[in-house]
Amino acid sequence: MKNLQKTYEVTQKAERLFEVTVPQTQFWEAMLYISTQTEFNTLSQIACTDWIEEEHFLLIYILTNDARDQNLMLKVTLGREYESMPSVTTLFPQAEVMERDLHEMYGIGFEGNETLYDFVLEQWNDLPPLRREFDTLAFVHEHFAFKGGREDNKDVKVEQKRRREEAKKQKALEAEKEEAEKPKEPETDTKETQDKKPDTKEAEDGQ
Amino acid sequence: MDNKLIKIFHGPQHPGITGNMSVELDLLGETIKYARTHVGYLHRGFEKLVERRTVIQAFTIVCRICVPEPDPNEENFARAVEGLVGIEISERAKYIRVMVQEMSRLAAQMLWMGGQSGSIGMGTVGQWSLFDRDLMLDLFEELTGGRVYHMYTYPGGVRRDLPEGFLLRLSELLDYLEKKLPKYDSIFFDNATFKKRAIGVGVIPKEEALKNGYVGQALRGCGIQRDLRKDNPYLVYDKLDFDIPVFDGGDVYSRALVRRGEMRESIKILRQVIAQMPTEGAIMQKLPKHRKFTLPKEDIYVATESARGEFGYYMAGDGTEHIRRMQVKGPSLIHGFTLLEKMLIDEELSNVAMIMNSLGICPPEIER
Amino acid sequence: MKFNTIDIKGIVSPFSAIGKVLEHPKTVCYPAQTKTVAPGYRGFHTNVLTDCIGCANCQDVCMNDAIDMVTIVEERNAKNKSGCIPRIDYGRCCWCNLCVDVCPPDSLALGEVCIQADEDSNKFLFFPKDSSC
Repeated sequence: MKNLQKTYEVTQKAERLFEVTVPQTQFWEAMLYISTQTEFNTLSQIACTDWIEEEHFLLIYILTNDARDQNLMLKVTLGREYESMPSVTTLFPQAEVMERDLHEMYGIGFEGNETLYDFVLEQWNDLPPLRREFDTLAFVHEHFAFKGGREDNKDVKVEQKRRREEAKKQKALEAEKEEAEKPKEPETDTKETQDKKPDTKEAEDGQ
Repeated sequence: MDNKLIKIFHGPQHPGITGNMSVELDLLGETIKYARTHVGYLHRGFEKLVERRTVIQAFTIVCRICVPEPDPNEENFARAVEGLVGIEISERAKYIRVMVQEMSRLAAQMLWMGGQSGSIGMGTVGQWSLFDRDLMLDLFEELTGGRVYHMYTYPGGVRRDLPEGFLLRLSELLDYLEKKLPKYDSIFFDNATFKKRAIGVGVIPKEEALKNGYVGQALRGCGIQRDLRKDNPYLVYDKLDFDIPVFDGGDVYSRALVRRGEMRESIKILRQVIAQMPTEGAIMQKLPKHRKFTLPKEDIYVATESARGEFGYYMAGDGTEHIRRMQVKGPSLIHGFTLLEKMLIDEELSNVAMIMNSLGICPPEIER
Repeated sequence: MKFNTIDIKGIVSPFSAIGKVLEHPKTVCYPAQTKTVAPGYRGFHTNVLTDCIGCANCQDVCMNDAIDMVTIVEERNAKNKSGCIPRIDYGRCCWCNLCVDVCPPDSLALGEVCIQADEDSNKFLFFPKDSSC
């Protein structure tokens, strides 16, 4: 660990998890140094994230030591246009299958690895699927037919609005009807108020 | 007379294969000269599915990545999200999670016994062990609502509290299993047929085991004592007292004895958890609603010891409510390719199924 | 030969399995007997229609787009502002219980039934059984 801290800048992410970032040009030298001169001599996993907004892939090599109690993440950035990295299969034989997986899913080339044939997908001619521009929903709509029977699905917000408007209209109609039911009154002041009450009562009874 | 090399596909529909994969073999007589593993019959695209879903929606599909043993996946997902967001869970939730992990380990080892004995023709052992596993699944049904896919361990704790009297029923089941395990010794582990088939077959050389990244029983069967629960402890494993069984020999029989030892250690751990379970504590921390639960723009790596070895998850968030990347690496990725293709050279055709079962190769987690 | 001595214990001890013949069989004579289901089992959905307010929280959280909101034929709850109730596509549902967790009036629940076999696949577009008494 002390060797590592002398040569590279190490950040601690958690209790037993460390991180080192190197530019792509220094990657091979860093990997050789770390796997031979420090205690992190086993490869656990190679992970890759597609940061499409920043236009690069981030490759993370997760290394661990013999006592299996600490992990080191070695991070490298790579361009998105089908670039290549040097393969680490000469240092770690288990990297063969991990690089095959990344080659198939992202289109990253690994120089020195001759086993970059099909891993999981068969006869796949489209974009490498885990790239962010591959839209799985559009792919499904293009290649598969959905079973019918679910066309009467309604959007609840639209339904609520529609029912509110209908209820309002219904109320307005009923109020108009009530107005229309009332008989026409002559234009007198005091007599109107006296006569109105029995009239409205009759109207209610009539309904 | 010259023998020619004959190419056959051992799988994907074959009773001697642990799942849905095939091994392409070149045979000279009955001896294998070249082996290559083919996967791809079970690819469901989990890593891409998770990118379109929020955290709470993704938690429900993570358990389906590994079929024989779903719980380490849920635990890894929960710990990764908790590590990214910075949530601390209560002691009671930690003890319940340890209990679920160890119950799942016992169930997975019983399923392994059925597979390993079936691969050499001893069908009785599988019938017995699957019944005992069924009793464990009954307990899971009571606790989580489902028998195999639990969807129970959630970032922030667990989803439901323990039912009434659950710890008592678990303790009775452990008593029953402790009485049953010596019977498995007399029909399986001490059986002369199994010993004759398994000793000296499928040997892993000790010098390269650590460097090549082998995990789990592949290391412990060679005499190297490594277990994440002791080396890099998580949850409350540092407060519990248990041993790691190790056997020299590096062959199929040593790995079987390691698993037999692990079953007894799991029972020991479960008894301690029942005795030490705190009675108070929140089951689940308060979390934001699902469309507002955002992950910060950071990444993390977590690992859990499953019944077959170290299971690793790399997770990265991007400031929105979706997960940017979740990469899964199970123990079978290395064992199924690098180790198997080398080990099968100069082996006999009849030993392929036995070797695959002893390494515990599980295709669903290779190709998620 | 891998052994120099004969392993007597290894040859004789497996015969103890014959003792199992005297034990009671462990299988369940389905369908004459059925296995009891634990409480809290995640089976088919039930919905209390007099409480359901048609808010579509369940449709929003369902991670596989399995829930449709369909106009109810006969109104059961005056507070149901949209007039819709959930219908679940059992070809897509994974019984994860998220729809039950987010339901505000707690009307949707997962019951104990788990068996359905039919020739018509449209029967699997399932209206949760009305459990309001």
